[in-house]
Amino acid sequence: MGQSTLALGVEAVGCAAFDAGIKGAFGYPGTPSTEGFEFLEAMIHAEPAGRVARWAANEKVAYDLALGVSYAGHRTLVTMKHVGLNVAMDAYTNSALTGVRGGLVLLVADDPGMHSSQNEQDSRSLAEFAWLPCLEPSTVQECYDHTLRAFELSEALQVPVMVRLVTRLAHCRAAFVRRKTLAPTGLGVVPKASVQDWVLIPSNARRRYLDLLAKQPRMIQDLSAMNRFLPGTGRRGVVVSGMGRAYLDQLALEHPGLATFPRLEVAAYPMDPQLELAFLAQVDEVFVFEEDYPVLEERLSLRGMAKVHGRLDGTIPRTGELTPRLLKDALGLMAAEGRAAINLDLPLRAPQFCDGCGHVDAYEALHGALRNLGVPDTRVFGDIGCYTLAAQEPMGAIHAVVEMGASISMAVGAALAGQTPSVAIIGDSTFGHSGLPALLTAASSGVNVTVVILDNRVVGMTGQQPSQALDQVERMVLGMGIPETQLQVLAPLPKQHEANVKALESALQHPGPSVVVFRRECIQSLRRGVLKDHDREEKARLAQACSSTEVRS
Amino acid sequence: MSDPRIHGIVLSGVGGQGVLSLAQIVLEALRRSGLHALQSEIHGMSQRGGSVHAQVCFSDLPLTSPIIDEGCADLLIALEPLEALRYVAMLRRNGQLVVSEEPQADMAGYPPLDDVYAALKGVHGCHLVDTEELARRLGHRQAGGMALLGLASRFLPVTDEVWQEVITQRFESKGARIAEKNLEAFHAGRGLVHEPVGS
Repeated sequence: MGQSTLALGVEAVGCAAFDAGIKGAFGYPGTPSTEGFEFLEAMIHAEPAGRVARWAANEKVAYDLALGVSYAGHRTLVTMKHVGLNVAMDAYTNSALTGVRGGLVLLVADDPGMHSSQNEQDSRSLAEFAWLPCLEPSTVQECYDHTLRAFELSEALQVPVMVRLVTRLAHCRAAFVRRKTLAPTGLGVVPKASVQDWVLIPSNARRRYLDLLAKQPRMIQDLSAMNRFLPGTGRRGVVVSGMGRAYLDQLALEHPGLATFPRLEVAAYPMDPQLELAFLAQVDEVFVFEEDYPVLEERLSLRGMAKVHGRLDGTIPRTGELTPRLLKDALGLMAAEGRAAINLDLPLRAPQFCDGCGHVDAYEALHGALRNLGVPDTRVFGDIGCYTLAAQEPMGAIHAVVEMGASISMAVGAALAGQTPSVAIIGDSTFGHSGLPALLTAASSGVNVTVVILDNRVVGMTGQQPSQALDQVERMVLGMGIPETQLQVLAPLPKQHEANVKALESALQHPGPSVVVFRRECIQSLRRGVLKDHDREEKARLAQACSSTEVRS
Repeated sequence: MSDPRIHGIVLSGVGGQGVLSLAQIVLEALRRSGLHALQSEIHGMSQRGGSVHAQVCFSDLPLTSPIIDEGCADLLIALEPLEALRYVAMLRRNGQLVVSEEPQADMAGYPPLDDVYAALKGVHGCHLVDTEELARRLGHRQAGGMALLGLASRFLPVTDEVWQEVITQRFESKGARIAEKNLEAFHAGRGLVHEPVGS
């Protein structure tokens, strides 16, 4: 065995991308995908050789950056969490039609059980929707191996390839063995003869859609080695993918009988229908262990060839994460005799704002202003970030959280429907991610909407990554059409409380759109000195600009 | 013959206490002892002072599941008493619980401390550690976690040399003194009289 590397599953994907010879890596932070990019970023930082790693303003931008690298003939990785793929969906589905030049691999980390997400959508369904291949590893070693394979497949099939992880695997730390690192050599830009493939005007798009459909049999064929039918004995079978396979393999060590079940192992989609038929011909009863949506289960059930057990028939709960216990229960294995339950009410320990966090001061000011204006029972539209914690009691300061950027547009919508005042609260990074177009609409709406931007200068919640909006927020706000008189920049500090309340009151009373920016660096990033170098350089730049102005005057 | 059984360690605490860092030390120590080991962690939102937990699974044979089932953990290391109670059901019948007495009660509805201790004392194989006193004695505010690991190490198939090596390497980037302090805390924990209080 070669030298092994100890890392998280999602980091193994990043490491494989490095070894596959990528030129560029892009992403937007989101649990549980973030560390995949960060691991790769650190590798590139240590050994650039012309490689680049950049966080993007949002997932769609990240995807398009990757597609540009591919167009230029180089391998590229783009990373995001499952709901981020919704944001990138336009780019993703259309890149199926353009195809790729350099290999393009999309790492998507799903979050069944919603450990830190607003839904548990299954990215396999989106790959199927886009007619694109999806690989699903079961172990950390496979995270690495399948990602290398994904680059090969992407170039062989000339389509983007998704590598789909779930939280348990993304955040499983284990050893894996690397192969040799390829240099980031390119294939050259899309040749003139193929340029029309990339121009999706209807006449080309119709042709490219037919091309994509025509690629499907080849896709199935090239992926077929990753899916296996093990005949076994008996008429009860199992279908496993992802963590379902990991859990079943583990159980089979202690219950050798399980190893003899006819078994269909799925690690790549689309799957060969012949494989599925061969398996179904061998069984009367099937248990399907897959993470998230009943994708395989539904497909096998529809064949009507065997009795299929899984999430649809209630053998496994319809929602939530798969666990070894759920497999045991489904298969009728005895669960371990555990401990008696603790006879004490254990309240949940929810995450909280850090001590001294500026968000808290901003919320207190807003609370004070609404109270002074006699509208303490208004509804405030929130967004995605640390500041979402204010939705919890006893604060209860925001009353809707849907998706990135929704706060501003929902507040405008509610204002159009008559809510006064209508308030949106959004962080600086989320504002850069998808608040900008919403503010453009807000600025021209003419209604009384107050947009509060909590600018802590980093992407706080996911680990203080750099915010694309750094030092740009006021310019962005003015650029979207908010008048200078309706933009206030405040410091969320206890000693500024009264002044902040007054400033918010005036914004809330203004009959048209207004923006209040609360700026104070995230105390975690301050403690870690994340922006120290940036701020020093910025200060030096300003000092120099001033002195050269003086010389001229 | 190799034992196919999967052994599990659950580590729990509050965001910021160092649960994940402790889990990584355990993982590395088991691996260096020739065992196959996997670690699972759940973080993200939990970094902000919420409950954090990690699991480390190990076996003589290669293993694929990073998590264990309720009633299957051999050891629970809890950096906070309420966070111990949350995972007691993970322990197998003669599993061991190593837990700090020090509450992090900055939350709504924290039960009366006497009730928490009483519940812990009812857990078979419970070792309650006065980490506050220990930290004071060692003059090292953050000694608690390493001391708990020290006591817990008595239940793990890892030699003192391996622990020493892993802990030293883990902290050496922060300077020799920090590494020494952590080793001292580990050994203080390992040397604690550890008659379980649980019945």
